[in-house]
Amino acid sequence: MNGWTGNFLRINLSTKSVKKESFTEKFAKTWIGGRGFALKILWDELKPEIDALDPENKLVIALGPIAGIPAPNTGKTVVAAKSPLTGGYGDGNLGTRVTVELRKAGYDAMIIEGKADSPIYLNIVNDKVEILPANEIWGKGTYDTMDWLYKKYGKAAGILTIGQGGENKVLYAVIRSMEGRSGGRPGIGAVMGSKNLKAIVVKGTKDIPMADPAGMKELGAGDLKKVGEIDKKTGWSIQGTTGVLSWCNEVAALPVRNMRKTSHPDAWKIDGERLNNARVATYGCPNCTMRCGITIHDHEGRESELDYENIGMLGSNLEIFDLPQVGSLNYLCDDYGLDTISAGGVLGFYADAIDRGSVEGDFKFGDAERAKELLRMTAYREGVGDFLAGGTMRMAQKIGRNSMDYAMHVKGLEISAYNCKFIPGMALAFATSPIGAHHKESWVIMFEITQTSRESYGREKAQKVIELQRIRGGIFEFIVACRFPWIELGWDLQHYADYFNKITGMKWTLDDFFKVSDRIYALMKFFWVREFPNWDRTRDYPPKVWFDPSNADKEGPIAGKILEWDKFEELLDSFYEIRGWDKRGIPTKKTALRLGLAKEAAKVEKYTKLD
Amino acid sequence: MKIKVKMIGPLIYEAGFSEKELELEKSITASQLLSLVKIQERRPKIITRNGKAIALDEELEDGDRIAISPIYSGG
Repeated sequence: MNGWTGNFLRINLSTKSVKKESFTEKFAKTWIGGRGFALKILWDELKPEIDALDPENKLVIALGPIAGIPAPNTGKTVVAAKSPLTGGYGDGNLGTRVTVELRKAGYDAMIIEGKADSPIYLNIVNDKVEILPANEIWGKGTYDTMDWLYKKYGKAAGILTIGQGGENKVLYAVIRSMEGRSGGRPGIGAVMGSKNLKAIVVKGTKDIPMADPAGMKELGAGDLKKVGEIDKKTGWSIQGTTGVLSWCNEVAALPVRNMRKTSHPDAWKIDGERLNNARVATYGCPNCTMRCGITIHDHEGRESELDYENIGMLGSNLEIFDLPQVGSLNYLCDDYGLDTISAGGVLGFYADAIDRGSVEGDFKFGDAERAKELLRMTAYREGVGDFLAGGTMRMAQKIGRNSMDYAMHVKGLEISAYNCKFIPGMALAFATSPIGAHHKESWVIMFEITQTSRESYGREKAQKVIELQRIRGGIFEFIVACRFPWIELGWDLQHYADYFNKITGMKWTLDDFFKVSDRIYALMKFFWVREFPNWDRTRDYPPKVWFDPSNADKEGPIAGKILEWDKFEELLDSFYEIRGWDKRGIPTKKTALRLGLAKEAAKVEKYTKLD
Repeated sequence: MKIKVKMIGPLIYEAGFSEKELELEKSITASQLLSLVKIQERRPKIITRNGKAIALDEELEDGDRIAISPIYSGG
C-alpha cells in the first residue's frame, strides 16, 4: 500500500503482548493518518465513560503518510488518548525523531494498552520490541531522562518521554522529545504515566513504501531547500513565533493578569527582539529548514527554549516581565513535563482567585520565585500543588464563589495566549476547538482583526473559523506536517497535496482532504457526546468574564468593549449551521451520512438522539 | 506632524529599527510610510493604527501609533 506501511504496533503492558496488525486500504483512505487514525482507533476501542487514567484507556502515537518523508516540515507525530483533563477526545502533536524512526521501523501508529506492574520503557527496533525496567530513569526530569537514553541508544534514536508531571499524573502533563519539543496538552503525558511507561525509544531501518520514491526524493529535497531560502529572505526564524507577542500587545489581545488585561507597557521586555538578542542556540524538528526553537540562558543559567505561547502564558499572563525568569518557568515545565500554556493558565487563575479573595494563598502576580516553587509542588503533587495539578476547571469547581466565571478554559482545557474579550471570531475558534481551548485548530485572530470588522459577529467569521479548522486541525493533523511554511512563508497548500499524491500514487485534490477534515471533526464531536450524553451547546461556551461589561478595557483600542452573548450565540449558530450540526452543536444524522459516518451515528444514538 | 512607528518580528531587521518617532512635513498614506521606512512593498504585511487595522491608502494623522507586522499563523 503505497504511502502507508499498512501496520499498527499494538503493545499491551499488562499482558506484555506485542502484536503487529495490518489495516485495510479503505481504513487508510478514510482516515489518512495522525489525528484521523488516533481518533478512529480510540472511538472504536475505548469503552465510554472510563476513567482516563485507568489501564483501559489507550495511548495512540500516530503518523501520517507524509510524516518522516524528507519534505518541508514533516517531522511531526500525533499523541492521543481520552483526556484526563477534559474527559473528551485529547491529542497533541510534536516534532520528534520518532516520526522518522517509527515509519522506518514499519509502523503508521502505535497503540499502547494496559498498565505495566512497575516503571518500564520500550525499546523498538523494527520488529523487535523490548519492555525494559525504567528504575534508573523513573523520578527523573525529561532532560536527565533524555541524556540517559541518548547515552544508551545514541542521539539518532527517536525518543518520547514524560517527566515527574506525567509520572504523578498532573492532568496537563505532556509528552516530550528532543529536549525542546512537547505535545499532548490535554494530559496525554499523564495517560503515559498512568501506564507506568516512562519512555519510548524507536529505531527503524526499512524503506517507507512510496509510489514514486525517486520523484518524491527530488521534489522533497528541492522544496526543503526552497523553504529554507524563503525563510532566510523573509527573516521569519530570527524571532520565530515570538513576534506575535508585540502584535498582540499592539492590538489588545495579549493575556495579562489571568486575561484581565489585554496589553502591558512592559511587554517589550519579554518580546521577540529581546529573545533574539539573548539567543544561545536555535533548534528545530526533523525535516525543518525554518527552525523556531530559540534558547536563552534562564535565571539559573540553564538553556531554555521559548516560543510565543510559553512567554505569553508564563510571562505576561503572570505579569512576569523578566525574560530569564520566564525562561526558568519554561525550563521547569519542560523538565517536569508540564504543558506551559496550561501551567501559565493555572497559576494565573490561582493568583486571580487569591487576589479576588476567593481562596487563601500566598501567590501574587509577578512573583517568579513562588511560581517556580508552585510548579515543583504541582509536578510532585505536594501540598497546594495537588490542587493546582487538577487544572483550572477543577480548581474553580473546588473554589466555587463564581470563580468559574473567570476560570480561563473551554471544556477543561486552558485557553492559549490570546485574550479574546473583544475578538468574537477567535473566541469562537477557542469555543469550538475539538480538544478544548487550543489555538492550533483555527488561529483566526489575525484575519479577523485585519480583514473584517472586529465588532462583527457575521457569518463570514464562522466560515473562516471552519476553513482554518479544515486546514490546520484537519490536513496538517492527518497528513501530519507543521503548518508554519504555509502562512508564515506563503508556501502554497497545494504542495502538500502534491507530496501526498507522489507518495500514495493517488490523485487527490484539496477538496478531498477537506472532506476527511469534516469527517474527523464530526467524529471528534461524537466522541465528546458519547462521553457526555447530556451534551448541549453550553459546553462550547467561552468563559463568562469575556462577556462581563465590568471587565472591559478602560483604555486602548477596545476601551469599553466586550463580547455580547446574544450576538455570540448567533455566531455559534452560524458555525453549527455551516458544519451541518444541530443547535446543541452535534452533527446531524444527514451530516453524518454525508461524511460516511453511518455506523458511528448509530453508535452515538445509543447515548443521545440525533436530529 | 509626528507619528510613532513600531516594527514587528523580522521587519525590525529589514527596516533597521524597532520603534521610532517620525516627524513629517505633511500627511502621508500608510503605503507611503512603507516606502519611507524601507519595507518591501510586495512582502505580505499588516498595518495597524492605534491597534486597529488600516488599508494602504489611508492617510495617517498626527499622534498616530502605527505597527507594521508580517503575517503569522500563531504561536
